[in-house]
Amino acid sequence: MSEILDLLTYPFVIRALIAGSLISICASILGVILVLKHYSLIGHGLSEIGFASLSISAALNISPELVSTPAVILASFVIMFVSQKYKTAGDIAIAVASSAALALGIIISSLSGNTSIMSSYLFGSVLAITQGDLIYSVVISLIVMASFVIFYNKFFLITYNEDYSRSLGINTTFYQLIISILTALIVVMGMRIMGTLLISGVIILPAVSAKVFASGFRSLVIISGVISLIAFVSGLILSFVFNLPAGAGVILANTIILIIMKVIAKK
Amino acid sequence: MKFSLKHAVIKYSDKIAINDVSLEANSGDMIFITGANGSGKSTLTKGIAGLLPLSSGTLERTQRMSYVPQIEEADKNFPAKVREIVITGRMRNGKLFYNNHDTEQANSAMKELGIYELADREIKTLSGGQLRRVFLARALCGEPELLLLDEPCAGLDAESHKILFEAINKVLSKGCAVLMVTHDNSDLDGIKAGRVITLSNGKIINERNS
Repeated sequence: MSEILDLLTYPFVIRALIAGSLISICASILGVILVLKHYSLIGHGLSEIGFASLSISAALNISPELVSTPAVILASFVIMFVSQKYKTAGDIAIAVASSAALALGIIISSLSGNTSIMSSYLFGSVLAITQGDLIYSVVISLIVMASFVIFYNKFFLITYNEDYSRSLGINTTFYQLIISILTALIVVMGMRIMGTLLISGVIILPAVSAKVFASGFRSLVIISGVISLIAFVSGLILSFVFNLPAGAGVILANTIILIIMKVIAKK
Repeated sequence: MKFSLKHAVIKYSDKIAINDVSLEANSGDMIFITGANGSGKSTLTKGIAGLLPLSSGTLERTQRMSYVPQIEEADKNFPAKVREIVITGRMRNGKLFYNNHDTEQANSAMKELGIYELADREIKTLSGGQLRRVFLARALCGEPELLLLDEPCAGLDAESHKILFEAINKVLSKGCAVLMVTHDNSDLDGIKAGRVITLSNGKIINERNS
C-alpha cells in the first residue's frame, strides 16, 4: 500500500492519473450513447483511422492533433452516417476502413522509420503524458462534460428514437454531428493514453457493465462513469504493480468488473 | 386549421405509397384512418408528422403536434424510466432543459392515463398496454393542438381502452384535432363522432361520418 502511495509523489503518475481518469469518464458516458445506438464498433474504427493519421503526422513531423483531430471527426461523422443509413453495410464499412487505416498507419510508420512511435500509439503510453498532454486532456474533457450536461436531454432523445425526436422538430443531424465530434476528440486523446487497439474498450465496456444494474438512462450514465473511473485507477495500479502496459491493465480491470457484474446479476 | 395536406404523394424508392391524398383538420376534428394492411395508413400519418418527405403536394401544419407511433422493438429494450420518457413530450428544438411546469405537466398526464404509480419503472418492464398509455401520456403532456395516433388501441385490454378513449375525448373537447389510425371498427364507438377515411393502395377510396 505504501508503495502505491509513494507513486503519487511522482509528477508523471499524477499527470497519468488526472488525464486518464478524465478521459475514462468522458469515454464511458459517450459509450452509453454508442452502445445503445448499436455503434459499438465505431470507437474501434475511429482509433485505427486515428492511428493512420498519427503515423502521417509523425512522418511529416507536424503536431499529431493538427492531423488526427479533423481526420477522426470527419471519419466519425461519415461512419455514423453510413451506419445509420445502411445498417449492416455500416459494419462492413467500419471493418474495411479500420483494417485499411491500420495497415496504412503501419506501412507509413515502417517506411518513415517511426516504429517506436508506432508501438506507443498502438499500445498507449499513459506514463509519458507531458504537461501539454495533460492540459489538452483537461480541456477536451471539460468540453465533453459540459456538452453532455447542456445537451443531455437532446442526446437522450436521439439515442432513444430519432424518428420521434424529428417529430418534435429536433434537428437530429446537428446533435449527431456533436456526438461525432465529441467521440472523435475523446478517441484522439484516449488512443494516445490507452492505445489505438484498446481505446474502444474504454468507451464500450463500462456502459455494458453499467447496463447490468442501471435503472433508467440517467443512472446508466452515472454508473458507467463510476465504473470507468474505478477500472482506470485499479488498472493503473495493476500496471504499476505487475509492470504491464497501462492500457492493457485498464481493459483487464474493466473486463473483470463486467464479469463480476454478470455473475452477481445471475445469482 | 391544424393541418392541411394537398395532393400529397409519398414514395418509397420508386413505389408510390401515398397517391394524391388531400386531407385537412380543424380545431376539435376527429379523423379515423382505416384500411387493410399495406394500404398506406402509417405512411400517411408519418407524412403528416413530417417524418417522410412529400414527393409532391403541400403540407401546412401546426408546430404543436404530438405523434404516437406504433411500439417498436427498440422501445421494449431501451433503459429509460417511464417519467424520463413521458417528459420528452415537452421537448422542442431550441429548448435544452425541462422546468417545473414541464414536470407538472408530465405528472398530470401520467395521472390522467393511470400510470403515475409506474413513473419509476423502466419501460422495458411494462406490458404492451401500459407502454401505449405511456406514449399517449408523453403526447398529451406536450399540450398538442394536433394529435397523431398510429394504432393506439392494438393489444389493449378493456380498462386501457376506456382510459385511452376518455383521454382522447378530453383533448378533443379542448380543441385539439386528432387523427387516429385503426383497423378495428369498434374503436370508432368509444370516441366522439368524426370522419372515417378509408385508404386502399395509398388512395382515399371512401369517406364517411362515424
